[in-house]
Amino acid sequence: MTIVPQPPVAQPAPNKSAETVDPVYRQIRDLVYKVSGIYKAEEKLYLLADGCARRMKQTDARTPREYWDRLTAAPSRDAELRELLNEITIGETCLFRSQPQLDALRKVILPEIVTEKVKQVTKRLRIWSAGCSTGEESYTLAMNMLEESERLLKGWTVEILATDLNDRSVETAKAGIYGDYALRNTSDLYKRKYFSTVDEKRLQVRPEVKKLIAFSRLNLQDDSKMLFMKGMDLIFCCNVLIYFDGASKSKVINHFFSDLNFGGYFFLGTSESLMKLNDQFHLVHFPGTIAYWKPSLSSGKL
Amino acid sequence: MTTSVNRTIRERVQRIETMPAIPAVFLPLLRLLNNSVDEVKLDEVVRLISYDGAIAAQCLRVAGSPLFGMAQPPKSIKGAVISLGLRRVETILLTCCLGQAFPAKKWALDPAVFWRHSLGCAMVCRKFSEKLAAADHEKAYMAGLLHDIGFMVNCLAFPKEFAMAMERACQEEVPLHEAEHSTMGFTHCETGRVLAEKWKLADDIIAVIAHHHGVGQSQKSQPLVALVHLSDLLCRTRGLGYGYYERRMVDLIADPAWAILLQEHRDLEGVDLVRFTFELDEAVGEIHALVSTVFGLAPATART
Ligand SMILES: C[S@@+](CC[C@H](N)C(=O)[O-])C[C@H]1O[C@@H](n2cnc3c(N)ncnc32)[C@H](O)[C@@H]1O
Ligand SMILES: [Fe+2]
Ligand SMILES: [Fe+2]
Repeated sequence: MTIVPQPPVAQPAPNKSAETVDPVYRQIRDLVYKVSGIYKAEEKLYLLADGCARRMKQTDARTPREYWDRLTAAPSRDAELRELLNEITIGETCLFRSQPQLDALRKVILPEIVTEKVKQVTKRLRIWSAGCSTGEESYTLAMNMLEESERLLKGWTVEILATDLNDRSVETAKAGIYGDYALRNTSDLYKRKYFSTVDEKRLQVRPEVKKLIAFSRLNLQDDSKMLFMKGMDLIFCCNVLIYFDGASKSKVINHFFSDLNFGGYFFLGTSESLMKLNDQFHLVHFPGTIAYWKPSLSSGKL
Repeated sequence: MTTSVNRTIRERVQRIETMPAIPAVFLPLLRLLNNSVDEVKLDEVVRLISYDGAIAAQCLRVAGSPLFGMAQPPKSIKGAVISLGLRRVETILLTCCLGQAFPAKKWALDPAVFWRHSLGCAMVCRKFSEKLAAADHEKAYMAGLLHDIGFMVNCLAFPKEFAMAMERACQEEVPLHEAEHSTMGFTHCETGRVLAEKWKLADDIIAVIAHHHGVGQSQKSQPLVALVHLSDLLCRTRGLGYGYYERRMVDLIADPAWAILLQEHRDLEGVDLVRFTFELDEAVGEIHALVSTVFGLAPATART
């Protein structure tokens, strides 16, 4: 992804009911799930259908059936699946995208980590935003940690590592300038507290938020670099592994597992699944969100 | 639980002779359900349903909901029985009957929230059991639907005490049964059991009601109790809980209930729990709609 996300061209029609969706889209949904781990729920099938419609135009497929053939028959298969994945994940990102993730983080995980680490001399929290794209997730995490800096995290140092393969995305992320669309979930309170005005349409993240984050370019498939990402308490990797094939995916996940501290958590995107690629992580549920947990030594569950 | 607490529960349950506006067909129906399927006569069920016009109408509406898998709402009770099968119709009827148990006074636990949770859990239990070839799906549905009837007892027989437990749960964001235990000294599992015994429910359903928060303690039907336990937890993390945020992490696969269920159903191993969770989300909207239209409740105010 090289551009700052823009609103999807076709606006979702909220009244399209599930019955009007061509059954082929359910097949495509299942295929997408199988190869990428992204699950488009029944009520979001129209989004998948919209994505397919745009791809159908590009590929001159006249019917969903024909498009299905493009997705499943060599030689177009792999490239077309990638295009479709781009189509359905682009423009999804924004600041404060998943409140349930943030609730789990602040209400359950932070208190737990703080209790676990209470005996340690240096109170340091390390978070990695892997595949951070244009930085929305990274800044959201930083602001939420700042909110806790006078409470749970009083006296703690928070470091957020934000990495992406794409240089241009990393540069955009560093600038931290966002428009209405990226800020659609951001409350006025946060806007006032953590942003300054650039012009009528855009706000910029304040330096005290940026200070928490180190942005850099990193290829998740670069094994030598991945080995050095140790000591993480939390890893977020949302909608990135969807492009990877099974083998590279499980390699990256194994890295994540060893890069995490015991008791640490790994989050995927909200409709994304790890499937059965790793049996060391525990799949865990929080209200409204799931995560993968590297059991703590004290839990006796390793 | 001490014997004196037990006696208090029994006495108070005896005093709530009639549940609020519970339809007359309810108890006969439950007795009918205790019989094995072959003994239940189709005509008998159709007769029971038609006995109460309001119930019959509601049944048709519930049967027409996508949750029960009919493309077109059935036109007659008999039609529904034929296309859905007798056992499915019984669970629909049971759903309706319980839905009628609506309070005149305000409950400490919002009835809409309670019914969404019960119906949600029933649906999840059935969907979950459908992944396990050897499980009895309609039984699972019924167990899910009834697992928390103890809350009804608490609202009716211990309104003040239970209101305090509820308040504590919301404030401290802890599981409701833990708050019950610490404020009242007993939980909906015990009160539910007393009511279930009074109603002469089947043994396996009684086991579910009494032990769904401590599966290991059940002497009987552990796999069914485990299935309800897991479905209940899942509901509570996917917006079909008790109306407040429960501050905790749930590890279903490491839960002892998972191992118990796995022992009985090896095919549990192949269940994709993440996908199952996403699929459950798809039904949440349906459940809200069903509870508000069929049971005549205002749309949700509380989330989670
Ligand atoms: C769909 S975007 C998701 C961005 C963001 N995490 C989100 O949830 O909105 C996928 C991102 O993954 C990055 N990416 C793809 N392959 C990568 C790799 N091998 N290493 C690091 N980042 C990669 C892309 O550059 C892109 O920014
Ligand atoms: Fe319960
Ligand atoms: Fe429950």
